[in-house]
Amino acid sequence: MLRGLYALVLVFGLLLSCAEPAASQEKSGTKEGFVLKEKSAKILLIRPTIKVGAQSTGGMFEPNADWTVQAKENLGAALAVAQGKLGNEVIVAEEPIGAAAAKMADYRALFSVLADSVIRYQFFPGNRLPSKKRKGVFDWTMGPGVADIATGTGADYALFIFTEDQYGSTGRKILQLFAAMAYVSVKSGEHAGYAGLVDLRTGDLVWLNADQAMGGDVRTPEGAQKRIGQLLEDFPGSVPKPGSAKTAAK
Amino acid sequence: MTATHPALAKGDTVPALPTYSAAYQPQGVDERGLWMEMDEAERAMRDSIAVINDPKLIQYVREVVCRTVGEDRCRTVRVYIVRDASFNASMAPNGMMLVNTGLLLRARDEAELASVLGHEFAHFELRHSLTGFKQRRTAGDIFAWAGVAAMGAYRYGGTGAYQAMRTAQSVQIGAVRSVYSNSREQERQADLLSMAYLRTSPYDPHCFSRIWNRLMDEADATAHGRKQRSTRYDRVSFFATHPTDLERASYLRTIADGMNKTGEDDADRYRTALAPWRSQMLADQIKLNDFEGTDYLLKGLAGDIWTAPLLYARGELYRTRGNPRDLIAAASFYRAAISQDPANAEAYRGMGLAQMRSRDPGAVETLNTYLKMKPDAPDRAMISTLLQ
Repeated sequence: MLRGLYALVLVFGLLLSCAEPAASQEKSGTKEGFVLKEKSAKILLIRPTIKVGAQSTGGMFEPNADWTVQAKENLGAALAVAQGKLGNEVIVAEEPIGAAAAKMADYRALFSVLADSVIRYQFFPGNRLPSKKRKGVFDWTMGPGVADIATGTGADYALFIFTEDQYGSTGRKILQLFAAMAYVSVKSGEHAGYAGLVDLRTGDLVWLNADQAMGGDVRTPEGAQKRIGQLLEDFPGSVPKPGSAKTAAK
Repeated sequence: MTATHPALAKGDTVPALPTYSAAYQPQGVDERGLWMEMDEAERAMRDSIAVINDPKLIQYVREVVCRTVGEDRCRTVRVYIVRDASFNASMAPNGMMLVNTGLLLRARDEAELASVLGHEFAHFELRHSLTGFKQRRTAGDIFAWAGVAAMGAYRYGGTGAYQAMRTAQSVQIGAVRSVYSNSREQERQADLLSMAYLRTSPYDPHCFSRIWNRLMDEADATAHGRKQRSTRYDRVSFFATHPTDLERASYLRTIADGMNKTGEDDADRYRTALAPWRSQMLADQIKLNDFEGTDYLLKGLAGDIWTAPLLYARGELYRTRGNPRDLIAAASFYRAAISQDPANAEAYRGMGLAQMRSRDPGAVETLNTYLKMKPDAPDRAMISTLLQ
């Protein structure tokens, strides 16, 4: 009977998500030997993917239209402010029409697959490839065809940004409390994102910064600024602000 | 969308069509969130390479929808034809309708297409995405709380702990079951409402049950070809999201018989509208690597008249399976296709390759004919090496 009990405990334990190790939440990688000199390049900002909603008691994502709209506005404004600190000229990509739109959609989707691969197979423990675990290795590419999305802009690099927020609902927080009393840890809320820089001439991924536990409430302007600061942390060639408020949520 | 719609309980007869008011804005956090997500998905769909951008075909499918559900309802529907060889269609809560090419290939006439699209529109009108979302959320919440209760019983319960944990596990299984049984119930409701649309449309209401009968036969053929057991249609599985095809065919047939309504099937108009895309749809179907299912489908599409595209498709099917007898059969199908349509260069290619595999000396001449007919063939280099 006890064995059956342990089996059931295992089942219930797995069904409620476990806490992640605090060490590996944020990681960034740069291509070996890559240096971005100050004020030397033109960067094309591709339309960011922003998703904001709530997390139900059972862990399901509940989309929220108002929060997403607020987040898009705030993050857009914060990005404009942060552009100056990047030390390079940043141009916002226009929305293409027709065949160019299909190509842009393809490459945005490809980048999300690429970033997910880097996160899963290199950055965070769980399923890392042996060849990617060696120090200094950061060898990822989108292929040279990616230059097609920047025709006519004269940009050298493309910047992709993704951020997803699931704010834990009241029920989720109460569940967390009761679960804690039963010695099971339940995570409330998911705030993940990444930012990546692609060299448009070669298609190589030269920089990626991924964070699975981000701070800043993107529904407010100040929170959005904090979020952008975290996303663009360690941006190659960024102008370091003396005594800047380094985010504590690392 | 609707002012009032009658509550559809299991076993209800076909409801009367509710009144419809257009220009609806989503209400409530959940509905607005779902519409926003679907708007993003529609944006991706619009730019996707998987979508067929033929205005005439899209317009034709929209007209079928309008004839089925009425002009009021179809005004704001956006149709996207997705290049997917499986039989499916769906409608998102914001009015985006996706129609797979697999559905367009399997429907024999306009009435059958209309019934499936009406079913999807019924999901939309009854707001099943929203109610389904809410139900799944509630089930997930119950699941989580039952899990916590079980853990609490384990930690703090004494003698009754094991019993409490088993009860909690049953509650969890019940929550999961409710998700799937709710989905089946939604499908039933959508079927009933789609029959209501068909009643006021110019189409024959028996068309809907015919599709399910053919799908069952096709699934049986597929299973036979893969040496698998056929699906059992008399029992509903735990994870089934739809009622079984047999159940649907039966109750739809009963309802149609009770309607006492005759209608058209507009098969000719349907065939004409889809003619430009049929070859591509057949090629996609052959790539599914489902020999007997595809053969069944081709025979059904042909009936008594084998047209050149169908003969060519059958040749491709047999040639790609490639058993010795298949190659001979394929060559004969290609020959028949060529006799009907001598301008089809691809048929010469297929015949030449089949002959070459069968060590038929006529292969060289056939492949040379292919290269002559199509000087800019993408596989010219490869075919040339075969001829050396």
